[in-house]
Amino acid sequence: MGLLDALVGRRSVKGPAARERLFALSTAYITLQTEQNIVSAGVAGIVFQPLATSDFTSIVKDMEEVVKATAGDMGASVETKDDDYGFRWLIVRDQSSVEDLVVSINGVSTAIEEGGYGERLLCAVFAFKDATGAQINFIYNYKRGSWYPFVPAGGAQQRSVERELQLKAQIGAELPIEPELERWFPLWGIPF
Amino acid sequence: MASKRSGFGKDRALQSRMLLTIFLLGLLYAAIVGGLIASGASVVTIAVIAIALFALQIFTSDKLALKTMGAREVTPQEQPELHAIVERLCIQADLPKPRVAVMDHNMPNAFATGRTQKTATVCATTGLLRMLEPAELEGVIGHELSHVINRDVMVMTIASFAAMISAVIIRFAFFFGAMGGGMGMGRGMGGGGRGGGGDEEEAIIVVILASVVIYAISFVLLRALSRYREFAADRGSAILTGRPSALASALIKISGTIERIPSNDLRSAEGMSAFFIVPARAKNSMMNIFADHPPLDQRLAALARLEQQLQDTGK
Repeated sequence: MGLLDALVGRRSVKGPAARERLFALSTAYITLQTEQNIVSAGVAGIVFQPLATSDFTSIVKDMEEVVKATAGDMGASVETKDDDYGFRWLIVRDQSSVEDLVVSINGVSTAIEEGGYGERLLCAVFAFKDATGAQINFIYNYKRGSWYPFVPAGGAQQRSVERELQLKAQIGAELPIEPELERWFPLWGIPF
Repeated sequence: MASKRSGFGKDRALQSRMLLTIFLLGLLYAAIVGGLIASGASVVTIAVIAIALFALQIFTSDKLALKTMGAREVTPQEQPELHAIVERLCIQADLPKPRVAVMDHNMPNAFATGRTQKTATVCATTGLLRMLEPAELEGVIGHELSHVINRDVMVMTIASFAAMISAVIIRFAFFFGAMGGGMGMGRGMGGGGRGGGGDEEEAIIVVILASVVIYAISFVLLRALSRYREFAADRGSAILTGRPSALASALIKISGTIERIPSNDLRSAEGMSAFFIVPARAKNSMMNIFADHPPLDQRLAALARLEQQLQDTGK
């Protein structure tokens, strides 16, 4: 944002990053699986701000139908959930492959972007399980086009920063990880 | 990436009003410096004093604000909901997360401090947290984050510098004036004095008068600028959250005028209270705190326009 924008208080919400790096997860997953014994939990979600306008509602409705139809063909199930903070989750469950999950999530974001509401996209979350069965999440930030790990630890609002930093070291070569640690925003209450 | 359709138009009128105000404040700066030079103080003295005061103001103001307000930084464990709202809006605004503080007070209010985006703190009172629904709280936090994004603390600090300088001059000039011409602004501090004591006293009076005028003008301008920045922050919040009406609802609640939209069912009104002509309203006190905020009606009207624009997109 330029100096003039700051002076006059001009604001616009940033849309999705120019470089789409969602698909990087498909290749990174091979490394995760073979080298780190981290397997997909078979579920992913995308989070966005649902605007209470007829235009946006109809775009989301059409999008959900398309995603449900295509996901059904691939043997996946789709559900939507509104969380306590007024954000909507669209959750895709597909045990067969991470690649299909990525494709489904990308279908959602593409539909919202094409409707002209790309700036309402927040992030996508992909769930994994490590050898001990603990849940590991990789979060894709649409605004920045980057990934970061999020590992909730036992206890309220506790995260295992150590594990997250390990994951960054393990997968950073293949997955474009968010370089600024202060942008590794947690997402509490992930509905899966 | 700009989207094909944007839910909100641009508010050029607000932006140009703000630029004009900033320009006029800049003009005041020039007038002060010119006046000081004319009064005989050396340029070096003025520069040193100015820079020192400016640094002091910039580096102490935000910490001071937090301390004097009795705000306390809170962890995500203490305030999970507040932190979650801040975090999501930060993702949405592509902003590093500010520190989150809470002030133990029943008065519902919130503020943001910090010169830069990295050192910012967002603070809410416990009264606010108790009173608002999550969506409304999100609107208020969005408003405060917009202040951070717009660098309002910095802008207002710089803008209020002229007013502060003239206030200091008034004080000093009276002080030195009382001690006699010899210690006046001109000779005592700057070196190149102007000769006799009579001239000195005249110069001091002129400086005092000029400072008073400048202080008065800058005060009015600052209030105007502050109001414009509030409008801009409301707008920023609406754009960020996509829910202008949630912020409007929060503002109505905060300002204690919730009576406009009664929340009690008419039938459940006990006894005769439903027939009172003037509802029992204890607070006018919020008006004092919001003194340099625009009137609530105007803010609500601006938010209503935004909601209208939003609803009309795609039609």
